[in-house]
Amino acid sequence: MLDVSRVQKELVEIERDKNLSGVSIAICEDDLARMRGTITGPVGTPYEGGIFSVDIHLPSAYPFEPPKMQFITKVWHPNVSSQNGAICLDILKDQWSPALTLKTALLSLQALLSTPEPDDPQDAVVAQQYLRDYATFVGTARYWTETFAKRGSLGLKEKVAKLVEMGFSEDASKSALESCGGDENGALEKLCSG
Amino acid sequence: MDSEDDMQDAWGGESDGEFYDSNEEEDDEGSSDKEEADYGFDDFAADDGAPSSRMPQANYTILSEKDIRQRQEEAIATITNFLSVSKTDAGILLRHFKWSVSKVNDEWFADEESVRRSVGLVRPTRPEYQRRSRGRGQEMRCTICFETHSFSSISRMKAEPACGHFFCDVCWTGYIHTAINDGPGCLTLRCADPSCGAAIGEDMVLSLVCTDDRTKYNRYLLRSYVEDNRKAKWCPAPGCEYAVLGFVPGVGASYDIVCKCSFNFCWNCLEEAHRPVDCGTVKKWIRKNSAESENMNWILANSKPCPKCKRPIEKNQGCMHITCTPPCKFEFCWLCLGAWTDHGERTGGFYACNRYEAAKQEGVYDEADRRRDMAKNSLERYTHYYERWATNESSRAKAHTDLQQMQAVQIEKLSDKQCQPVSQLKFVTEAWLQIVECRRVLKWTYAYGYYLPDQEDAKKQFFEYLQGEAEAGLERLHQCAEKDLHVFLDGEPGQATFNDFRTKLAGLTSVTRTYFENLVRALENGLTDVVQGPLRRS
Ligand SMILES: [Zn+2]
Ligand SMILES: [Zn+2]
Ligand SMILES: [Zn+2]
Ligand SMILES: [Zn+2]
Ligand SMILES: [Zn+2]
Ligand SMILES: [Zn+2]
Repeated sequence: MLDVSRVQKELVEIERDKNLSGVSIAICEDDLARMRGTITGPVGTPYEGGIFSVDIHLPSAYPFEPPKMQFITKVWHPNVSSQNGAICLDILKDQWSPALTLKTALLSLQALLSTPEPDDPQDAVVAQQYLRDYATFVGTARYWTETFAKRGSLGLKEKVAKLVEMGFSEDASKSALESCGGDENGALEKLCSG
Repeated sequence: MDSEDDMQDAWGGESDGEFYDSNEEEDDEGSSDKEEADYGFDDFAADDGAPSSRMPQANYTILSEKDIRQRQEEAIATITNFLSVSKTDAGILLRHFKWSVSKVNDEWFADEESVRRSVGLVRPTRPEYQRRSRGRGQEMRCTICFETHSFSSISRMKAEPACGHFFCDVCWTGYIHTAINDGPGCLTLRCADPSCGAAIGEDMVLSLVCTDDRTKYNRYLLRSYVEDNRKAKWCPAPGCEYAVLGFVPGVGASYDIVCKCSFNFCWNCLEEAHRPVDCGTVKKWIRKNSAESENMNWILANSKPCPKCKRPIEKNQGCMHITCTPPCKFEFCWLCLGAWTDHGERTGGFYACNRYEAAKQEGVYDEADRRRDMAKNSLERYTHYYERWATNESSRAKAHTDLQQMQAVQIEKLSDKQCQPVSQLKFVTEAWLQIVECRRVLKWTYAYGYYLPDQEDAKKQFFEYLQGEAEAGLERLHQCAEKDLHVFLDGEPGQATFNDFRTKLAGLTSVTRTYFENLVRALENGLTDVVQGPLRRS
């Protein structure tokens, strides 16, 4: 069974310095095995300013088995699936040690956002882009951060709605926005020329 | 240096008499036989029954679990001695170097520090909790359970890894338990501290875990001796616990292994022994069978309509000679559904039901409704070979059961009935052993025939001739062992006729053995060095 006492102590510790560490955890309903972690995007990266949610599931053998973690927020990153948020990170697999904690795991995720490892990719498309066309990669990653990881900013939906109002189809607007890294003017130009 | 050579000494040499005991040493005699071989059954009838010419025997050792444990202990003792390390450390080193004593020696004396680093063998340090407690009570926080534990200078923990890292006994136990239930990786377990890397040895593991985990761990320890070694394999028979070690194929020798459990398998592909066909053909054939399995299900059903009265007849004997139930009593061949009188000696010997073309021309495949559905010629052709392959397999399985039954019950009974000492009845068991072996060979000749290229017509004809003779001879032997024997099991003792039976069965056994041995060799040679012989003669 899950070591409840350890998990509770971990939660207390995370709560204590969440402002400093940039990572926090909230329990989902009353199930201690399910929680939601939050990571702030590292400064100086395309993820800066974003707040990323992570679904955390503790197996019953935790901490002897690693926690299962998956991004809920969409992230454009070589080691994260752009489809479902699955994460490729060694300490969540064979390099896990019971002396590591949820906090160290989330901090490792944060570190992963700063230093992608495109040679051990989770998402081949993103990794290819990262290696071959770094500028576009940064643009797309930033656009995804703006669109999915920021609350209050103009989301993709609103931008699409604006273009639809101008008379373009929804699908065309969406794909134009995506290909221009979310830049409304770029998308408009593309839609007019194409 | 080639590490495979190094393995040899780990197995303790080859001179311990554990070798598969072969009684075939007359290789030279064998090769002269080969040149004169002409594959007519009658020509072998004068043979005295001694196995004359088999393949040169390959070298290997069959080990029981007990033998393996003993070898592991010997290896550990040697390393403990040479390197002056603990038994636990010797075990860690040996597992890292795949149980090669010489490899451990070489690497260790070349660069001990680098070996220690890569294996995780740290020199024992004083446990953290003792270092910190210094005589007074001391509190230590376990960084796995986050609980605080108090110690004094006299406290002793079970879990004292060489690196000295502190986790409480409960957490160490949980850590090891998870590793054991994760698989054989537990044999190379490292310290729970993520930055440490010290190897956790057998003694600490076994001092902490429950009986269940201990059993599993010991099991992995045992298996590592075989599974880490490219020159060792487990016998693939279900439930068999023997391992084969140090297999070195002799020059021109087969890959067949005879396990102590009596299972006969191929070292290379681990399928049941399959001479005279090669591993590649076996693989192709098995893949073909599973691809066609839906079409072939009906073949495995053990009943066919009698060709005369159309009542369903069940095949419950090993030989292909079927007699319909009264009043019909029609005698027919299970494979081609032809009259039995057309088979074997009485017709002057052309046994043709193994031949696909002949069967097709005679319209055999138009008879049964099922077969009519199979419009495609390729499927029809495959069906022909598959049915014979499968039927010989079930015949082999039946013969194997009969053999066991014979050894367990019948021989005793026969000895009573015929007032013969059991030692005088060995010829019966030998006959059955031969039947089992021949069914296996005959079965694989059908895969061989299926893959014989169509354009090599002469070869194909010759092959079918040899196969037909083999089949006929085996039928004779099988029938004699099955049906003639029953007369003596059920009937009254009669010295004279029983002696006749002995002569007949022993003679058939010997003739059939020789024939099949020559057949296997001829097929393995691709029928090249014999293709002129009998054809020219006939
Ligand atoms: Zn603990
Ligand atoms: Zn350690
Ligand atoms: Zn076996
Ligand atoms: Zn094979
Ligand atoms: Zn009948
Ligand atoms: Zn027949």
